[in-house]
Amino acid sequence: MTKKTNKKALLAAFAAFSLFLSATTGASAATAEENYKFYCAQCHGLEGRGDGVNATENQPVSPRDHTSAREMEKLTDEDIINSITDGGPSTSKSSLMPPFGKTLSKSEISELKTYLRKLCKCKGK
Amino acid sequence: MMISKIIASLALSVFFLTASSIPALAGATEGKKAFEAKKCGQCHQSEGPAREKTIKDQLAKKGPELWYAGSKFAPAFLDKWLADPRPIRPLEYNSLTKKNAGNHPKLSSADAIDVAAYLMTLRSADVKDGAIQPRDNPKGRAIFIKKQACYGCHEVTVRGNKAGGLSGPALTGASKRLNPDWVYAYMTKPRIFKPVKDMPDYTGYINDAEMKDLSAYVGSLD
Repeated sequence: MTKKTNKKALLAAFAAFSLFLSATTGASAATAEENYKFYCAQCHGLEGRGDGVNATENQPVSPRDHTSAREMEKLTDEDIINSITDGGPSTSKSSLMPPFGKTLSKSEISELKTYLRKLCKCKGK
Repeated sequence: MMISKIIASLALSVFFLTASSIPALAGATEGKKAFEAKKCGQCHQSEGPAREKTIKDQLAKKGPELWYAGSKFAPAFLDKWLADPRPIRPLEYNSLTKKNAGNHPKLSSADAIDVAAYLMTLRSADVKDGAIQPRDNPKGRAIFIKKQACYGCHEVTVRGNKAGGLSGPALTGASKRLNPDWVYAYMTKPRIFKPVKDMPDYTGYINDAEMKDLSAYVGSLD
């Protein structure tokens, strides 16, 4: 076997392995961004600025601006996870934030927390 | 003499019963033909069960599924709506940015009656009929407004004024549009009807008695 064919074989094996990986992780697993844009964006907006279509003038509270470091720093990672899982009242906030604990898996909620930290470019207190 | 009279009246009532049920059946058959001819199936799934498994599958759908329409809608709603379709969702289906243009095809009165008759034959065994009576009740209202704030996504009309969010179908006029038995089934068995949807699954957060009160309340909204 020459060096060239060796390289080709290695590449083919790598491609097959990647294919196997993507098949086993499953096409159904949604990314945090996909989940955010499907569920959260309704109120928090597609870019996370708290300006989703449900943030109408007559709502009693405004959705949190996820890009605001000043606002998001007030929340611990646990607060974020609890709020997504059991809704606003779990962190003494409005019930307008609904519970997603039966809709999203624990790992999806944890990934959303990481996504929110990227949006605010901040850490929890 | 008496017996022959009874037989005659029985025969007459059988005749009337059969005659009165024929138009509905004929309407459904014609309606299915019209549904196919007008290619309604390009946007609306008419055979269950639900097929979508991922967010991408849901977003690929162009309109609401109708395979359980006969269980979902109030009996006299669809024929009127199909002849004069007015937006139910403030936004375009599956969009969070585009306003509903209100451009659903309008059917002739005759077609609307037939297609509605067909759609009302599409029933789900998961909806138990007659269990929930529409009723404005304080417990249901408290869940809708305070406990889970359903109005956050579903627009309602309060004392003549529209209020609430826009991402879900409006619930103004739900009393004329929805079967409260379906609302209860949808809330308690959400994955049967829509396995992937942007509304959270509330099972475990709203108990069964509350689900009944809430469904009765939603069924009473004008």
